[in-house]
Amino acid sequence: MNVGGGRNISGMHEYETQLAGLYEEYYDKIARYVYVHIGNKEEAKDIAGEVFLKALKSLKSYQDRGIPMQGWLFRIAHNLTVDYLRKMDKRRTVPIDSVVLAVSDNPIDAAERNIEFGRVTEAMKQLTTEQREVINLRFFGGLTSSEVGGILGKGDGAVREMQRAAIEKLRGIMGVEI
Amino acid sequence: MTDDFDRILDECIDRINRGANLADCLSDYPAYAEKLKPLLQSMHDVRKTYAFTPSADTKRQARQRFHAALDRQGRMPTPSLFLRVIRQPAVWATIAALVLAVISVLVIQPVLNPLTVVPSPEGNFAFLISDEPNDIGDFESLNVTISRVVLQGAGSLKRLEFTPETETIDLTQLQGEQSREIWRGNVPAGQYSHVYIYVSEGTGKLASTGQIVDVKLPSSKLHISMLFEVTDDTVTSFTFDITVVATGNNGKYILKPQIGESGARQEQEPLE
Repeated sequence: MNVGGGRNISGMHEYETQLAGLYEEYYDKIARYVYVHIGNKEEAKDIAGEVFLKALKSLKSYQDRGIPMQGWLFRIAHNLTVDYLRKMDKRRTVPIDSVVLAVSDNPIDAAERNIEFGRVTEAMKQLTTEQREVINLRFFGGLTSSEVGGILGKGDGAVREMQRAAIEKLRGIMGVEI
Repeated sequence: MTDDFDRILDECIDRINRGANLADCLSDYPAYAEKLKPLLQSMHDVRKTYAFTPSADTKRQARQRFHAALDRQGRMPTPSLFLRVIRQPAVWATIAALVLAVISVLVIQPVLNPLTVVPSPEGNFAFLISDEPNDIGDFESLNVTISRVVLQGAGSLKRLEFTPETETIDLTQLQGEQSREIWRGNVPAGQYSHVYIYVSEGTGKLASTGQIVDVKLPSSKLHISMLFEVTDDTVTSFTFDITVVATGNNGKYILKPQIGESGARQEQEPLE
């Protein structure tokens, strides 16, 4: 039973309740957001869990930021993703570009999915960093343009324009079957 | 014109994010459908390529880690400046006797002699139980007997306890938004900081096998640390959310408090 609308008088407890309430809705979305960046599902799930633990530890710093808590969670996700990619880069392990999808029972299906994954990933790489972030937060994070603007420090109109330009670019690179 | 199109595209993406399909959006904007369709199709392709949903088991494990951290944080608030000062050995040695005297008066005596409050249908405080679904689906029934509830007042407010009017509840009937009031009565107005429920027995019947299992507690009581206020002129309803979780693959279960789903709220209707 969610009682987040109650009158608990401690600000911290209110934030804790709010954070717990966001868990069910945003855990999957954050995992997908991270997956788009790193291309590894297992690590993406771990990082998504880490986002909520880190948010809990940092709740005091949230109070001064003035953005919706879900937007703040994606900022944490972004920072953890960057940290992860830096570590991977130092270890010189599997580069993101060469991540191979799990092989299914049907090798033809698996091959087709790998080709499609490569095609979309290649198209995403052609976007600017900001365009890619807008697409990721809108398509996978499920955030509104206003919330994305809060994270990126942009107005709603600028986000909408960037979004349209990004999708047109993706369409141009990927082609569309109509 | 471009701005209008950007807004329509944005609205369609919002609608698709909320579960609508592409065709619905196109039919609402026939003048833009030709331009919208390839862009929304690209969105669909990108989402499909990266689509994955973490398994329920993975999500449950992550949720348990999160709620364990939430519980720990509730029990261990950041030390105040005062606490950091008194942790200095020299300071401690000087004030130890005074602290012990204060503890004796303010803590030990109230603990030993909690104020017992009696139920009243016209009371200003209602206590409810709910159940956050974790592993409750494993059970056909899960009866939990609560022998007493203790509220710890903040500041000078005395610790008080009451015996639930309904002592045994079936948690399978209280999942999600469901809750059940187990006590209502008058409690002194003021701030309260901790709620304890003492569980004397937990017995469940497994849905898969019909086996009867004892459900344990990590200790004899469930505890939530949460500051809330009770007033004289409104009814404060406190919902204590309990969840049952499997401890592994050994067929054992424990009860845990769910701070994220628990809390107090004031009813809108003032008391006569």
